Amino acid sequence: MRILIVDDFSTMRRIVKNLLGDLGFSNTAEAEDGHAALALLQSQSFDFVVTDWNMPVMTGIELLKAIRADAKLKTLPVLMVTAEAKREQIIEAAQAGVNGYIIKPFTAQTLQEKLGKIFERLAASA
Amino acid sequence: MDVAMDKAWLVQRLQEALAALETGDEAGWRVQIDALAAARTQPMMAGLSRLARELGQALGELPTVGHDADAEELDDACARLDHVVTMTEQATHRTLDLTEECRALTARLGEEALPALEQQQALERIRHNLTEIALTQSYQDLTGQIIRRVVGIVRRVHEGFGALGLPPELQASRQQGRTEPALAGPAVAGVDRHAVSQLDADDLLSDLGL
Repeated sequence: MRILIVDDFSTMRRIVKNLLGDLGFSNTAEAEDGHAALALLQSQSFDFVVTDWNMPVMTGIELLKAIRADAKLKTLPVLMVTAEAKREQIIEAAQAGVNGYIIKPFTAQTLQEKLGKIFERLAASA
Repeated sequence: MDVAMDKAWLVQRLQEALAALETGDEAGWRVQIDALAAARTQPMMAGLSRLARELGQALGELPTVGHDADAEELDDACARLDHVVTMTEQATHRTLDLTEECRALTARLGEEALPALEQQQALERIRHNLTEIALTQSYQDLTGQIIRRVVGIVRRVHEGFGALGLPPELQASRQQGRTEPALAGPAVAGVDRHAVSQLDADDLLSDLGL
């Protein structure tokens, strides 16, 4: 399981990376915005994306839409981890095809729960 | 110019402008209108100058941060806020370094047959790191002070515009018309009423079939 962590703050990338490591996911890579993430996704193989929403150059929602519009990437699970907490935004993300949505600040337990739920659903639909 | 004088002066300008207009004196009419326009913009200019002066003073009042060399360069609010970002980033990385080290140390302590001396050293190191982590949090005091002062400046500018009769709502809506509305960012309790909790978000998503 290779996971791409996308956030413009290096500290948040590090925190997410540590939390994922604690949950047994130690194979990760990082990108600082949607554009850099998309370049990595197109050149390397990933099984999961954890992305922030508000980033310069290319936002997380734009990244999500780009992933869903890409023939090769469209089934890639995407978990949004963001400070954006408006109802309309959550609906927008859901409509764009997000697999999970975590509002910052979040706990290790929330991350574990959401990951578990996403994997359960993927297993059920596979 | 007091109110009565002001009124008399205005009446005179208007009457002369009207007279000039009626006699087809284009230049004379313009002179009167220009005088009226200048009278209208003068208080606005004076207000803006005062605001600029106050802003300059407020910026000068800000506490300097960091070491001497840094302090010289931090001469405006934006640089100070950038400094807040750097300070918080450094403190977070320092804390993460220390927690990672502690994690490795606890793993060592879990090893069987670890000599008593090494065990003692590992515990000492963990204790030291915990103290360091606590100390690292002192950035909050400094960043808090800087942010408060910048908030004060923003409020003064906002009030200054209000005093000049420039409604902030109008400014904001003009801005929005030109650029895409910015993302809301982290919700602040008591301020952002639109924000939902993780539980609300979960309910919403499950309603949407997620």
